[in-house]
Amino acid sequence: MKIGLDRLPRSRYILRVLKAFATLRTELRQGAGGIVLSTETAGEQTGVQTDFAPDDRYFSRLRRSFGSSSVALGFGPLEMSLDGLSERQADDLARRFRPFVVETAARPDVHIVLYPAGVDRFLNTRRDGSDETYRLETRRTGESLALWAYEFAGRLDPSEGRAILALVEERGAQFDRGLENFLRVVTAFYILERGGLLLHASGVVRDGAAHLFFGPSGRGKTTVTHLSPEDVVLSDDLSLIVRNGGGFEAAGIPFGMAHHRVPDSRDSFPIASLNSLVQSLEVKREPLTGARALAEVSASLPFVMQETRQSGRALEVIDRLLATVPAYRLWFRKDPSFWTVIEGTAR
Amino acid sequence: MTDLAMVPRKNPNSAYRIYDGQATIVLPEQAEVNVLNEIGSLVWDHIDGTRTVAQLIDEVVEQCDTTPEVARRDVLEFLQSLRAHGMVI
Repeated sequence: MKIGLDRLPRSRYILRVLKAFATLRTELRQGAGGIVLSTETAGEQTGVQTDFAPDDRYFSRLRRSFGSSSVALGFGPLEMSLDGLSERQADDLARRFRPFVVETAARPDVHIVLYPAGVDRFLNTRRDGSDETYRLETRRTGESLALWAYEFAGRLDPSEGRAILALVEERGAQFDRGLENFLRVVTAFYILERGGLLLHASGVVRDGAAHLFFGPSGRGKTTVTHLSPEDVVLSDDLSLIVRNGGGFEAAGIPFGMAHHRVPDSRDSFPIASLNSLVQSLEVKREPLTGARALAEVSASLPFVMQETRQSGRALEVIDRLLATVPAYRLWFRKDPSFWTVIEGTAR
Repeated sequence: MTDLAMVPRKNPNSAYRIYDGQATIVLPEQAEVNVLNEIGSLVWDHIDGTRTVAQLIDEVVEQCDTTPEVARRDVLEFLQSLRAHGMVI
């Protein structure tokens, strides 16, 4: 075996360096009027106001919830009960998440109790109005994970199946964004425990099988869904991958939907292919295998790759996923011709 | 300059998996996913907190068709690269 190291420039030793997570935080963006990405963090340049990092004392002082109503949501195999809601909040959420509302689960995976935060902000945005990365701060204490951003702070105790969520507003855009962002994190953590993944991918079902299209923002995840008007769209940004026996299925979730507001179905479908998107004039698909496939999928996982313990578990799950579902790199242009290629190479 | 008697250690916060002889390494702190080629993965796999740099070089000489001089230069350069990326400490 030729060692070859001396003939390769240093950069070739490390074949791929994917700046993954800064990009992945785009899934936290909320529509056109939301927070836009840049590569810098908020505090670095502009002298923002002091952030408020909630500690255990803060969370333990949250005693008075918004009310006594509950809404139970089901995402794939996960069930979450949102408790401590006012009647109005419960009505609004039941309407907003309608296809995913389930009968109050006897034993949901997690009970999330919502409280008024009692503060205006946890993290502050730049005063000059320039773009900034959506910051999500975390702190782990034993099994407990605290996380906070601009409009929410939450604490997750997975072993107890409990979480608390403090929101700076009782309703409106900040309430919606804070709740949704927290639910994304909760979903990512719990689905990983179940041997599944929350993938930064759009999902389209054709002929009963799901095709997932992944990659950083701007690669065309949403475009693919627009180019599939006759098909069932599970998501245009975040897809749930769930374990079903020895195989994997994809399910939609009602958040991370940049344009296609509500998934067409809450059912799950066997996954036929994983496709790493590349916009191109040429339309073709080539197998994506080995460590490169593992790296590209792992670079498309929000939240869980920010922690060593979670990321190790996620790599195991991706390994299993790639053993049963073929992955490809898909070059496509903005017309439906990519489906011909997909169907031509479908197993 | 790396001392040949030094014992490199993997960043304890890294998570990795070797797939088809190639290591995929996740660095949560740096928000990076790295893939090493096969020889890089061989070196990575042998960084276990007990082997010295000299032993890693010997391993490459033993398993690859190369001279000790070339292996030494390349392993040292590679370790520097791993260090620069925060993969070893």
